[in-house]
Amino acid sequence: MGIEFRNVTKTFGGACVVDNLSLEVRDGEFIVLLGPSGCGKTTTLRMLAGLENATSGDILINGERVNDVPTQHRDLAMVFQSYALYPHMTIAENIGYPLRVRKLDKADRAARVRRVAEMLEIEPLLERKPRQLSGGERQRVALARAIVREPRAYLMDEPLSNLDARLRMQMRGELKRLQHQLGTTTIYVTHDQAEAMTLASRVAVMKKGQLQQFDTPLNIYNHPANRFVAEFVGSPSMNFIEDERVTKGIRPEHIQVLTTPEDGAIEARVYVTELMGNETFVFLSVGDQRLIARAPADFRADVDTKVWLRIASEKVHFFDRATERILPQRRDGATEDAK
Amino acid sequence: MLSTQKAQNTQRRFSVLFGSSVHYVVLLAALLFALAPVYWMLTISFKTEGEQFATPPPWFVFTPTLEHYYDAFVTRSFGEYLLTSAIVAVTSTLLGLVIGTLAAYALARFELPFKLNRRLSLWILSTRMFPAIVTAVPLFLMMRDVQLLNTRAALIIVYTAFNLPFVVWMMRGFFADLPRDLEEAALVDGDSRLGALVRVVLPLVTPGLAATAVFCLIVSWNEFLFALVLTQTDAAMTLPVGIAGRVTQYEIKWGVMSAAASVAIVPILVFALALQKYLVRGLSMGAVKG
Repeated sequence: MGIEFRNVTKTFGGACVVDNLSLEVRDGEFIVLLGPSGCGKTTTLRMLAGLENATSGDILINGERVNDVPTQHRDLAMVFQSYALYPHMTIAENIGYPLRVRKLDKADRAARVRRVAEMLEIEPLLERKPRQLSGGERQRVALARAIVREPRAYLMDEPLSNLDARLRMQMRGELKRLQHQLGTTTIYVTHDQAEAMTLASRVAVMKKGQLQQFDTPLNIYNHPANRFVAEFVGSPSMNFIEDERVTKGIRPEHIQVLTTPEDGAIEARVYVTELMGNETFVFLSVGDQRLIARAPADFRADVDTKVWLRIASEKVHFFDRATERILPQRRDGATEDAK
Repeated sequence: MLSTQKAQNTQRRFSVLFGSSVHYVVLLAALLFALAPVYWMLTISFKTEGEQFATPPPWFVFTPTLEHYYDAFVTRSFGEYLLTSAIVAVTSTLLGLVIGTLAAYALARFELPFKLNRRLSLWILSTRMFPAIVTAVPLFLMMRDVQLLNTRAALIIVYTAFNLPFVVWMMRGFFADLPRDLEEAALVDGDSRLGALVRVVLPLVTPGLAATAVFCLIVSWNEFLFALVLTQTDAAMTLPVGIAGRVTQYEIKWGVMSAAASVAIVPILVFALALQKYLVRGLSMGAVKG
């Protein structure tokens, strides 16, 4: 189902939380709203759900303005960060709640609950209460409750943030698979750029209530619209080198660390290295500038040894220092400028 | 090494024993203090008039009689008073819970303009900030004008009004402690506000509701002042007024009064025991998160 935000603004008291947001989501897309805490991404989701009112602007679902449609009639399903499972109901009752509210008869309800439970492999838990479940199990139940009916779209508010790292990664994959199976439009809120990159068909990066960029994960990564997006997406973060009028940005994987001098390479000192197992992060100092480079797993260098850097000049981004916007790519000698 | 440990153990066991025996002594004293008047009342209700006034009083050994119970509930109309008390207390408690819970939910969850949430709550509480007797005369005149004097309806209205502030304040606290996510989840799942309140919110504040209900019921059941002012005939006399009415110019019917009072204790006792498991949780609910 198509979803559209048209010049949507939300203010709380005097503070502007979402600032003139316009966003168009196509049917079946997996959209991730990405940004640091307080960027207005959760408020955006809550406005779509009808849990907050937009101060101005229009929210459309399938071309129909829904600003004044109460939450219960918007036909969306939401997964909360806290999962919000009903503590006094069994898991089966929790999953069946949206169907019970829609007055489906008991047999039909039970069948659909069972089918969804099978899909998410939580069948053995159906008679338990939420407090008897682990975090990962609760998360599955919350998902099951969302997909038990066929809503117009799924809204997910940091659904994986309460899980430990390993489980988060596993659920991330399952979510993606699930969305692929169901093909339902999904809006997903997170501050984790890895989740955004892996899940989204398109990512909307937000900062202080304003949309920074709305594009595919690859474009966001390779062609950031401004310095904020460039810095927020990617781990370790992009390196920035301030010049008089421009800021140059280069991703760690585009800096090659050499142990012997070479033509055009810049001299640097190893500040510290971090072994990651499959690769090595090399923290460097060039004068008083700090840089991070990604090196192969077998790269070894002692602290304070001299190394040489080769920078892929075609991969350097230029940002206006004042506006922080990206400038058209310059292909001239970025390497000399890096000093 | 071993012997010191043994000594320590003995010491610990001693202090545990000693500590718990001190507990029991204190508990026993408190119980004696609280229950002595009840015991006195109960024994009076079963004693003949001669034994009631004997000196020294027969504390434990006397010939029990049911004559006062017969006198109260068969000869006199205490049965009727009991019924009135029950109807008035239960109805006003139910009304107070329904109206007060809805009000409390609105105050806890909906942001009203001009900081009205806080102001309205204080307003509601302020109706309990003066002595009840201040309102006795105005209420009497109002009830007279609408011809509700000597009716159960008058008492139900007044008790509901007086219980409301407590219900609103207690329930508001219970609602405020409940995470909003749960109701929001219910709304997104397609339920209405009222449906979410009934199916999700209320089941989770049952302990709070139970504590509030017991509180209202006790207050209404024991209320004396308004019952005295607003009812003079048997048609709408409650137990407390009926009991007090046995103190006359010529005699005080201790036996009848004690018999009626002993019976009056029973319903509240049963109700409180039935809700006991909720009561402790309800009264400590907001105190501990989790």
